[in-house]
Amino acid sequence: MNIVVAMKQIPDLQQIRIRQRQPVLDGVPAALGMIDKNALEAAVLLKEKEGGQVIVLSAGNEEVEETVKEALAAGADQAFLVIDDSIENADGSVKAPILAEAVKRIEDVGLLLFGEGSGDNYSGQLGSRVAELLGWPQVGFASKIEIQGSQAIITRSLEDGDEILEVNLPAVVTVLGDINEPRIPSVTQILKAGRKPKEVLELEELELDLPALPQIKTLSNLAPETNRKQIKVGSVEELIQALKSEGVI
Amino acid sequence: MNFELSKEQSLLQAMARDFAEKRLEPIARQIDEENQIPAEILAEMGELELFGIPIGEEYGGAAGGYDGYVLVMEQIARISGGVAMTLAAHTLGLGALDKFGTEEQKQKYLPDACKGKTIASFAFTEPGTGSDPKQLTSTAVKEGDYYILNGTKRFISNANHPGPCVIFARESESQEVTAFIVDKWCEGYSISEPWAKIGMKGGVLTDVYMENIKVPAQNLLGQIGQGFPILLYGIALGKIGTSTAALGGTLAALEEALKYVKEKTHRGAPIAKFQAIQLKIADLKIKYETSRWLCYRLGWLANNIKDPAAFAAEAALAKAYCGDTVVEAAKIAMDAHGSYGLMKDYNIERILRDALIGPEIEGVSDMQKMIVAGSLLKR
Repeated sequence: MNIVVAMKQIPDLQQIRIRQRQPVLDGVPAALGMIDKNALEAAVLLKEKEGGQVIVLSAGNEEVEETVKEALAAGADQAFLVIDDSIENADGSVKAPILAEAVKRIEDVGLLLFGEGSGDNYSGQLGSRVAELLGWPQVGFASKIEIQGSQAIITRSLEDGDEILEVNLPAVVTVLGDINEPRIPSVTQILKAGRKPKEVLELEELELDLPALPQIKTLSNLAPETNRKQIKVGSVEELIQALKSEGVI
Repeated sequence: MNFELSKEQSLLQAMARDFAEKRLEPIARQIDEENQIPAEILAEMGELELFGIPIGEEYGGAAGGYDGYVLVMEQIARISGGVAMTLAAHTLGLGALDKFGTEEQKQKYLPDACKGKTIASFAFTEPGTGSDPKQLTSTAVKEGDYYILNGTKRFISNANHPGPCVIFARESESQEVTAFIVDKWCEGYSISEPWAKIGMKGGVLTDVYMENIKVPAQNLLGQIGQGFPILLYGIALGKIGTSTAALGGTLAALEEALKYVKEKTHRGAPIAKFQAIQLKIADLKIKYETSRWLCYRLGWLANNIKDPAAFAAEAALAKAYCGDTVVEAAKIAMDAHGSYGLMKDYNIERILRDALIGPEIEGVSDMQKMIVAGSLLKR
């Protein structure tokens, strides 16, 4: 059984600067989403126990061929990429059929993992949309995944408790950011990442009838305003009182 | 001309930064205070293949080149000078073994050393020699299939860890300086208490005592009398490590100063608003960038050394500049902190102590400048 991990190419969040509340993206290198890396680590841990291959699936502009090396260094065995400039800013309604069609072209997929939401837009729709298109069951908010024969036992961490589910494979699972801590890759894992097998398709090769772009238009994207209150206190008691009145404690 | 890092190089840099921030930063002060690196940290560095970056895969290395090595070293040194010093001295020893060792010697020593199961050393300096090979007094007397080594070596890095040590001694028949591979902790090998040095603690320096150490003749490194070229080559390679350790310190000084001047306020405004502080920040950035490109270029040059003397001059240039610069940078960053910087609560206190090692270790800056001048004047 193979495990596919869908990973999104996004701007490296650590290198984005905010100027006049707008993100400055010029010169910011591409990276893979943080929670996507948790999904990959979950897949690699399962592979180490159960065998099979971990295949990273990503759709984006041609830069994704370089960006995906990060996933190949972190334990993915091969990559399946769909390349088109138009994908970069596409929303879930466009990306879902692309990813679903790509998954159909990968052999023996038992599990398709996503991060709970992407590192940039965090719409959290793709897992559900792709599951619907594939006709597979989907489980969200996973904090633990175990494989038992033709089923997976999945713990969902919810606000008021944990829920344990049994799901038939193949299935789509979206994982939480705290499911694990991604390992640090070794030097040779990094240096050999580019030599791992990669299947690269142009978007038109999937022969999809995609909705017209864009379905959703971003009107504004502003960083939250943070203003310091600059409350001055003269004693510990006043500090405690101020923290209480501000609802901090 | 292309100054961009490849994706692999960027990932290597990010990996080292990630490791340093997650594993070293929480214990950097502990390493400084205890002058010891926890064994699990060294083990993890071994698993990540940080101990054999420039060594070929056929000997258990990562084949990442010296350019890969400088990217990693910079990030390690940014967080812990002591760990950087340990890695630098180890890689120097490995570089000499890799260059001059026989196939059998390389197969015997390099794989374990690349995995960090053993840590290498390079022992030339003696109490009376400084860096002058003519003053070397350690002896190697041939007895059948062995050499018997006697003498004292001073300020040797990593001598407290098991592993191979490249030791220089005067071969008795030829009276020539010759290099030997000695298994540390063998019979007749002992070390002093660690020197209580000012900075880069965790990078342990001890003296090494050789009392009738019996070294098999097959552990001769290179040829009898080849000690001097091995020494020059090894020390030149070592300067990649010392230069880059200094570079990491300069980066740390820049980052600590930037962080502090944005946080520290005077009459309600961050001190970063003042031009006097801004000039310091600009100076730090200039010092960092100039050091950085010298080190990156030196790593690239080391991948393909055609003329060892020319490389030695390049290495001396980088070492002189980066070693002096890290002290200047740390002092500027300290000045930006004012009296707070003197306190152990602030990282700049440790960064400045670590920086002071830079110009002195592995040949003082003036000596490096003599090598640079010599390379120009002898033309």
